[in-house]
Amino acid sequence: MPSMFTVALKEFSDIMKGKRFIVLVIVFGLLLTVAIASVYLTVMQNINIPGIAMPRGFLGRAAYTLIAMMSYFAPIIGLALGFDAISGEKEKGTLKIVLAQPVYRDIVVNGKFLAALLATSLAILVASIANIGGAVFILGVTPTGEEVARLVLFIVFSILFAMTYYSIAVLLSTISKRTTQSMIIGVVLWAIFTFVIPIIASLVAFTVRPIRIGQNIQNMTREEMQQLMEEMRSRTVITEAINSFTPNYHFGRIAQYILNVYTGMAIGPRNSTEVRSISIMEGLTSAWPNILVLVLVTAIAFIASYMIFMRQEIR
Amino acid sequence: MSYAIETYDLTKIYKSEEKTVVAVDSLNLNVEKGLVFGLLGPNGAGKTTLIMMLTGLTLPTSGSGKVLGYDIVKESLQIRRKVGLLPDPFGFYDHLTAEQNLEYIAALNDISKAERKKRVKEVLTAVGLYEVKDRKVGGFSRGMKQRLGIAQALIKDPELLIFDEPTAGLDPEGARAFREQVGRLSKEGKTIMLSTHLLFEVGPLCNYIAIIDRGKLIVQGRVRELVEKMMVEEGYRIRVKATGDVQTLITNIAQLNEVSEVKREGDTILIKANRDVRSDVNKIALSLGLEVLSLQIEEPTLEDLFMKYYRRGEVAEHA
Ligand SMILES: Nc1ncnc2c1ncn2[C@@H]1O[C@H](COP(=O)(O)OP(=O)(O)OP(=O)(O)O)[C@@H](O)[C@H]1O
Ligand SMILES: [Mg+2]
Repeated sequence: MPSMFTVALKEFSDIMKGKRFIVLVIVFGLLLTVAIASVYLTVMQNINIPGIAMPRGFLGRAAYTLIAMMSYFAPIIGLALGFDAISGEKEKGTLKIVLAQPVYRDIVVNGKFLAALLATSLAILVASIANIGGAVFILGVTPTGEEVARLVLFIVFSILFAMTYYSIAVLLSTISKRTTQSMIIGVVLWAIFTFVIPIIASLVAFTVRPIRIGQNIQNMTREEMQQLMEEMRSRTVITEAINSFTPNYHFGRIAQYILNVYTGMAIGPRNSTEVRSISIMEGLTSAWPNILVLVLVTAIAFIASYMIFMRQEIR
Repeated sequence: MSYAIETYDLTKIYKSEEKTVVAVDSLNLNVEKGLVFGLLGPNGAGKTTLIMMLTGLTLPTSGSGKVLGYDIVKESLQIRRKVGLLPDPFGFYDHLTAEQNLEYIAALNDISKAERKKRVKEVLTAVGLYEVKDRKVGGFSRGMKQRLGIAQALIKDPELLIFDEPTAGLDPEGARAFREQVGRLSKEGKTIMLSTHLLFEVGPLCNYIAIIDRGKLIVQGRVRELVEKMMVEEGYRIRVKATGDVQTLITNIAQLNEVSEVKREGDTILIKANRDVRSDVNKIALSLGLEVLSLQIEEPTLEDLFMKYYRRGEVAEHA
């Protein structure tokens, strides 16, 4: 009985041989790394506020570029591998040939998922290593053993994040009549999650909690100061509530917890020189709900495409 | 009797927002093993839909069917193990070579790695594509792809072959090669089903036909029997070629009871009769001292059959 591995093997070698994959890994994995790293370095050199603690250690300095790179790279690799998974084979007519063989339909979806998981892991590994290597080279700091463990976890959750987008893309590809349609919806959805919702979130936050005119931090009373903090907090709550509708937000949270750069509540007294540090276990515990959301979205999108595909007319 | 294909009130209804299409309508077919079965019908008759139901690519709305004795819904996996299908339309993986495409299909049929290469070579040779096995299918012409499609259907060494529009896109040479192939496969004892609206190209191969229109069966049966039935119903057409006093011959033949019409067509005589009157004609000619050069029954062609039943189907539809 031929299994999903037969399909997975073919799909994986297709992905590896295809231009799409190589181009993405090079463009995003390497170019994005360079671009973000250079922006980051400029910022690091020019910002030096006395009294504010500067991030320390390898991760303290490199995590920003890593997270920024991955929050673009992972969704795009997921979309790129998934948008034509089903619709492409329907359009080309290859699906009919495959399904006329003694196989159950599910090996097609499962095999593709497995191949995408492998390819995504590989791509993210390559991109991460490029990024980390670049950072080591530029910053001249090497990660400690604990930081390496954090980086490994980060890579694992980046793969999960990419697979979330992959599953969404496969779902779109299953329900779309055409691949172009699936691709357009995929890209629009990505743009909504990546740019539109965060913008709306802060617009809403600032509308609900507007900045009061005439504030001058220098001559604020202690009460006014506290009120200001309170406003900022509630804006954060609103923004996060809205952003939590995007997978990107959850990935961001996981990454921050895991890489120990969580800054959401780090706004403390001005004289604070401590950057809050959390252990890996603490990080995982705090990130747990976000991890669960990504796993659920991935599973639901996958199961939905699976169920639709199993009973779908294939022409 | 063991049937290759049998259907019982098999029906497929496609529903969409705007309309409902009854693509296959209560179809009852029974095709014995070992035949070359032609499924004939105009565009949109439901041929492809029927084939897709038979091979488990789509589920029937109602009714049931068996292929090689297996239930088309519950045992479709076994069916696909033993049935080679050339779908219409279909495609291959453009970025893979002809050989790679076929090796993948072979793998999906659980053909062992060692066996695969051999089978692939066999079927590629059979369709005349072995020379181009290392070329990417993306660069193949339509006819080459069609040949590869035929090769693909053969790879599992199937008991039953179903070809949907097999000669679409083939050049005359390709079509001839295909007809020969069907002949060989049939000799090997395989059952072959050919679905087409192109009567000339594959029609002559068939010894069993079913004509469908708008999802409904119009007629099915052995071609031999249908032809004889048509001759009985519509009369025999006999063509005579003789030398000498042809006009007297015509007058004499016209006197036969069963002959309804005799006329001259070029240098031959066409007789319409409700019985095979060849021996009578021969006797008359002999008695008149004429030399008969040829004396043949003109059998209705598949096209005649098709036109007769198809027209009748249309009439029934509108009545
Ligand atoms: N997936 C589908 N959804 C809706 N209607 C369909 C679908 N597939 C086929 N049909 C309709 O079913 C009818 C039968 O189509 P089918 O393709 O089976 O005919 P056909 O005899 O193979 O025609 P052709 O000679 O053109 O290949 C047509 O009216 C067609 O429009
Ligand atoms: Mg058709």
